[in-house]
Amino acid sequence: MRISIIPCEAGYYRVMTAVGRAEQQELPWVEKYRPKTLDEMVNQDEVVVTLKNILKTRQVPHMLFAGPPGTGKTASAHAFARELYGEGYLEEGLFVEVNASDERGIQTIREKVKNLARSIPFGPIGFRIILLDESDQLTDDAQHAFRRIMEQFSTTCRFILAANYANRIIEPIQSRCAVLRFRPIARELVINHLRKIAGNEDVEVDEKALEAIYDFSEGDMRKAINILQASASISRKVDEKTVYQVLGYVSKGEIRRLLEMGLAGKVKEARDLLREMLYVQGISSSDILTGLYREIPDLNITEQAKVELIDELGELDFRIAEGGTPEIQLLSFLAKIAKKARS
Amino acid sequence: MQNIPWTEKYRPKRVSEVAGNKEAVENFLKWLRSWEAGKPGKKAALLHGPAGVGKTSLVLAYANENNMDVVEVNASDFRTAERIKQIVGMSSQQRTILGKKRIILVDEVDGIAAREDVGGLPALSRIIDETKVPIVMVANDPWDQRLATLREKSILIEFKRLPRTTVQAQLKRICEAEKIECPDDALKSIAERSSGDLRSAINDLQALAAAGKISREALNALGYRTRDKEIFAALAMAFNAKTVREGRLALEGLDLDPPSFFQWIFDNAPEQIPDVRVLSDALEKLARADIHIQRVNNLQRWSLMKYAIPLMTTGVAVEKRKLQPRFVKFSFPSKIRFMTKTRAEREVREGIAGKIAKLCHLSTRKAMRHMLPYLKCIVQKNPEEGRRLAKALGLSSEELSYLQRAGS
Repeated sequence: MRISIIPCEAGYYRVMTAVGRAEQQELPWVEKYRPKTLDEMVNQDEVVVTLKNILKTRQVPHMLFAGPPGTGKTASAHAFARELYGEGYLEEGLFVEVNASDERGIQTIREKVKNLARSIPFGPIGFRIILLDESDQLTDDAQHAFRRIMEQFSTTCRFILAANYANRIIEPIQSRCAVLRFRPIARELVINHLRKIAGNEDVEVDEKALEAIYDFSEGDMRKAINILQASASISRKVDEKTVYQVLGYVSKGEIRRLLEMGLAGKVKEARDLLREMLYVQGISSSDILTGLYREIPDLNITEQAKVELIDELGELDFRIAEGGTPEIQLLSFLAKIAKKARS
Repeated sequence: MQNIPWTEKYRPKRVSEVAGNKEAVENFLKWLRSWEAGKPGKKAALLHGPAGVGKTSLVLAYANENNMDVVEVNASDFRTAERIKQIVGMSSQQRTILGKKRIILVDEVDGIAAREDVGGLPALSRIIDETKVPIVMVANDPWDQRLATLREKSILIEFKRLPRTTVQAQLKRICEAEKIECPDDALKSIAERSSGDLRSAINDLQALAAAGKISREALNALGYRTRDKEIFAALAMAFNAKTVREGRLALEGLDLDPPSFFQWIFDNAPEQIPDVRVLSDALEKLARADIHIQRVNNLQRWSLMKYAIPLMTTGVAVEKRKLQPRFVKFSFPSKIRFMTKTRAEREVREGIAGKIAKLCHLSTRKAMRHMLPYLKCIVQKNPEEGRRLAKALGLSSEELSYLQRAGS
């Protein structure tokens, strides 16, 4: 086991443990440094207080963890379960993860979740916790089926639903859950955390590099740690340039190219690039939206046109959130750019 | 990964394998024999005819069979006189390297744009005068005014559309080689739809074969049927619908569900509506239609589909009518081709993402988006650390080598 003592912001010291199984040393850092206890959670004080209260009373409700990616939803579910059941929470099957986006249909709910939910677990706590990750990916039908399961098996099972968008969870489910909101993680906290990891991994990172990582991550800790690890693999001394090297690697300026194709009216080329990004590289539409939002101010069009495009972009974002097909919605947006550039 | 397009995999290796156009093949051979004898009547040949009938394949097969080097240039490679002289000029003067004979293949000569490729055609014409190796040019339309000089200096060899039976026989040969079950009537309908364009027929076959077996149902699902003209007729109706009622009629009796028909319209829209300002408005209508269609999917409420249909038909047509009417051929949805072409790559990526997902408490989808790009970066920038990570994640050597190669 490797133990390091790391200074924390409030002037006290915290012991950070990197679990010492040999292969664990080689895990992606996001996994290696996943918070193991509620106290290790970063920036989710209200959530942590609520969860601790629940632990005290042992009155566990169904819960909905809502918030952007990389803010600790899955991690706090694990930490909560560990503190509730003890170290063996996973091995003993007291806590089970189901990924809604990998099996998003009603079939998953009917079979897998239902079978899990109805069996009584062994142990002093008479119910199991099922984490339904990315539950906003479930179809409405599946959600309705799920809602009945929630009621039917509430003696043997509690659910934690994790979702990026709470509004995509149907009302009847929301009203049966305690809703815990996760926020994007604040700048200093992301940077502090990265510093700790870097210290533990014997990597030097300068201030500007940390700022750059934060700017790109926008409070998504997973992204921030991934950028740090990739940067450290390039050089043990990470500066701003190293970070940009990684960012250039991760996205090869595709968003910029999309916009240029839009401006040039090359709709078919834009469509092909979009397909490559969405279906082969698996870039999320939300990443593309964020990128577009960032690039619009630099476009060579009138300021009025930019404002109108941002309005359109908001509409685009909403439509995709509502279930519109990203490829189709995005292409329509790019064609609008072409039109604006010509009027 | 065995993901070479079949059009490449099954390109003829020998002249005798070139399908159809026997007369053209004969003329081509005669001309090359005159080169062999040292006295060609004309120093260049201009092979012309519709797309996908074997013009380029013939040249490549001949070169392969006779162990010749092919210096290949197509319109996208060169632009100006300067470039042409550089690429074609030099190689036309050296008859051999390493004792090998040469042939120069200038693809898509009719694609050499007059404006951008200043002097490209005259330069080519001068090179023909001085060449010591055969120059073969390929064009769809040889009667363009700008090609007049080149025409004079070349022997013209015409290629015709391939008969349906020839296309069908080639498809059957491929099916046998690929061990794909495909009923003859399905092959027939693919062949028929290609209108004598073997390349597009092979592409369609590969797209359809994605399921491993081509059944009537697969053809139907893609709107690809014996009465295949129906779908084109429906597209024509949709793109030209004058009223909402006409737009709705386009789908009537069509054995294709509205979301599939939507894909046909969406993928054909850029060609049908060449003016980007108008296209923009048409795509907006399609984006609205998509919202309705996705509501059907998400809420499982079929009754909402009816709102999508006028948008994707008449809605697009009213935009198209703002342009001069002109006829542009419809084509098979490019999305389906794209997904077939990238299938092997997508599978490897999903495999890798699945393994990351398991270890890191993520969905495969999230692993692909949020982890894989960084892993790729590490593997490529720091191979040693990459190998350690790959091992911890349990990646196979194929998966690791994909990461090493990917996206560079």
